[in-house]
Amino acid sequence: MNTKKQTKGPLSGLRVADFTWIGAGSYTTKILSDFGAEVIKVESSTSLDPLRNTAPFFQGKPGVNRSGYFADRNSNKKSIVLDLKKERAQDIARALIRKSDVVTNNFSPGTMDKLGLGYERVSQDHKSLVYLSMSMQGSSGPHSHYVGFGLTIAALSGIQHLSGSPDRAPVGTGTNYPDHVPNPSHAAFALLSAIYYQRKTGKGQFIDFSQTEPSISLIGTTLIDSNVNERIDKRMGNDNFQSAPRGAYPCRDGRTIAIAVYLDQQWSDLDHLLKISNQLERRDWNSARIRMNYRKELDAAISKITVDFDARTLQNLLQSKSIPSGVASNIAELVENDPQLNHRNHWIKLDHKEMGKTIYNAPPIRLSRTNFNMENSAPLLGEHTDEICVDLLGMSESEVKVLREQDIFV
Amino acid sequence: MTQNSIQTTLLACSLDGLRVLDLSNRFSHYAGKLLADMGAEVILIEPPIIGNSIRNKPPFIQDRSEIEFGIPHFYFNTNKRSITLDIHKNEGRKIFLDLVKTADIILEDHEPLALNKLGLSFEYLQEINPKLIMTSITPFGQTGPYANYAADDLTLLALGGLLNIMGFEDMQPTQAACEQAYAMGCMFGAVGTMLAVLETQISHMGQQVDVSIQECVTLALENSAQSFDLEKKIRVRTGNSQRYAGSGIFKCLDGFVYVFAGGMAASRFWKNLVEWFKIKGVKGADELASPKWQDLKYMHSEEGKQLFETIFTAFASDKTMAFLYEGAQSRRIPLCPVNDSQSILKNKQFISRSFFETVLHKDSGQTITMPGAPYQLSETPWSLRKLAPHLGEDNQAIYKELGLTEEMMASLRSLGVV
Repeated sequence: MNTKKQTKGPLSGLRVADFTWIGAGSYTTKILSDFGAEVIKVESSTSLDPLRNTAPFFQGKPGVNRSGYFADRNSNKKSIVLDLKKERAQDIARALIRKSDVVTNNFSPGTMDKLGLGYERVSQDHKSLVYLSMSMQGSSGPHSHYVGFGLTIAALSGIQHLSGSPDRAPVGTGTNYPDHVPNPSHAAFALLSAIYYQRKTGKGQFIDFSQTEPSISLIGTTLIDSNVNERIDKRMGNDNFQSAPRGAYPCRDGRTIAIAVYLDQQWSDLDHLLKISNQLERRDWNSARIRMNYRKELDAAISKITVDFDARTLQNLLQSKSIPSGVASNIAELVENDPQLNHRNHWIKLDHKEMGKTIYNAPPIRLSRTNFNMENSAPLLGEHTDEICVDLLGMSESEVKVLREQDIFV
Repeated sequence: MTQNSIQTTLLACSLDGLRVLDLSNRFSHYAGKLLADMGAEVILIEPPIIGNSIRNKPPFIQDRSEIEFGIPHFYFNTNKRSITLDIHKNEGRKIFLDLVKTADIILEDHEPLALNKLGLSFEYLQEINPKLIMTSITPFGQTGPYANYAADDLTLLALGGLLNIMGFEDMQPTQAACEQAYAMGCMFGAVGTMLAVLETQISHMGQQVDVSIQECVTLALENSAQSFDLEKKIRVRTGNSQRYAGSGIFKCLDGFVYVFAGGMAASRFWKNLVEWFKIKGVKGADELASPKWQDLKYMHSEEGKQLFETIFTAFASDKTMAFLYEGAQSRRIPLCPVNDSQSILKNKQFISRSFFETVLHKDSGQTITMPGAPYQLSETPWSLRKLAPHLGEDNQAIYKELGLTEEMMASLRSLGVV
């Protein structure tokens, strides 16, 4: 029996031996599994993916198969448990790699080598293998062995320093942003590009991915401005170079609305609706330059007006005149009450063996002909161990039984 | 500083042979850059004379607001070619259709249905070229109640849920720097394009890739949706306060450092931190060795956080970010500088990995350093083969390829088509 499940996703037929864990690595391979690749997560209770022990838990009760955080990042994957400190387990991991198109991991440099699973070794008899290593600072350089996590990446890569109010300490981006989007999407893009090349030429390769570099790429324009125009970079709050007024304003219901005016027409519509210039000193507010120069005055006046509106009502009013605006939604609104996310079926409930139906993020991409298949919840720890050993690796059931007694599969 | 130069050798690139028509004219230029930097032939299609809107976007090199001086243009259009073409004019549309026959991918960020109104719907283009992939990056996706809502980066961070949890709790929220909502749309746009490209390799059929920036932003919310689903918790913003004592941002002599040494996963580094403080003779080091710092409840208390902050900042106030970084990391303590642009450019690790590209911008005579390879591929490395194009730089080569003569070009130019 062929365990390669036939899916219709665009990556159908692609097999990934996935050694990633925690945040960024698992979110990278989720993109692959949601779009139809067969992603086999290699894990172990002896060195457990910390996300399996991270809140929130089903019914608030911890357990390796109860984390909603882990589940969201591991939809549509299979799980095999292997105690990779044991040589026999390493043999099995290498056998799995031989049957795979791609290997992924986000360990510190050298970890996979110590386990006998480094690129040099496993690519010897598998020249088309694409091998992604996404460590904190890459596999070369004087800081390659430094320790770090999501927020240390945000700090190192500049986005934390640049985000927040000019007159206060850096506040950053609220979540471990580099873990959730910049690193997973850059890594997936590099991987897919390498697979494209592999299919054309038969050649595999090693991808050395430093988890600080993509986030720096995202602040490139500020970096250039600072370096070319000798500008000391400063936090801009909610300002930008092209829009005023622009900001986050309080509403009557305690919510916040974001508004951004770029065009003179948008300003005159906004002023018509909210009567802002009545509250202001007489200036030529129809001039974009004046609005830019006196943006603080505008912000103060607008804040006094928006508090008389409920956020949703105001959003509808402003959108009726095509003024860029949106409520700063909280997660309850997004999950229960966002008409657009509902329309796109963004939130998906998948049935999990221990947790029942819980919520997952769908990918933010729709392919018109071969879309994703959000069919399977995250795997239980080791759920597919037998299936993978027998059906994919051709081991006998008795062999699996013997190895299980030797604690290979823990 | 490393002086990388434009690579003139013919290195193999992953995406050699893919032709992309880049119709980005609002915010999706980074998607095309990702493809171009990996070797795809990305042709930026620009309105004649005025050029692409990104050329007018500040800041500018030497603060000169001219179309070849825009920093966003310079950075987001590396490795791209440029032609001028007005697809709103009938003649321009015809030329565009000829180009579509030669292309693998169209990348675009028009408002939904705007291309249909020009007679350039995906369905129609697919009839001309069945293998065509069209990636559309828009604020909310192609359809739905918000599809035609007016939006910008800030309002998308808001409607995607990230704005609400960014910033200080005692004031209105503040955005992530450098237009991260647009960036997220671009990153997933590039990923979506490659998913379709891989599928086309097998099926020889194209398809449309529909990216919603709002939806991209929801992926940055960490475990918010799951916490709401399973525990009915609604995440709020918490500023930059310590999560647990020992994990947060602290002031030092020349800036801030981020420390991750207390609570949950970080607690295994606590011992190393205390050891370091003892060796350095820090006042309060013994205090930090007491067993109460193993108690998560105490670590979460205001008392614990304040005490830690007092001890740490007294130690750090006369020390630089660089000193603390090396000292802590040599003892396996996750501490990092909160880097600004200048310290990023001087960072030994990034320099050692040749991360930056330093090039000459000829129009200004200015030497410019910018981020380079965000990943290192051993066979088909990321490469900077050419700088962002001048407006219409490739008109001649590409229109010649389509069989247009000099006379035809002159006529089209006088009609404002090219």
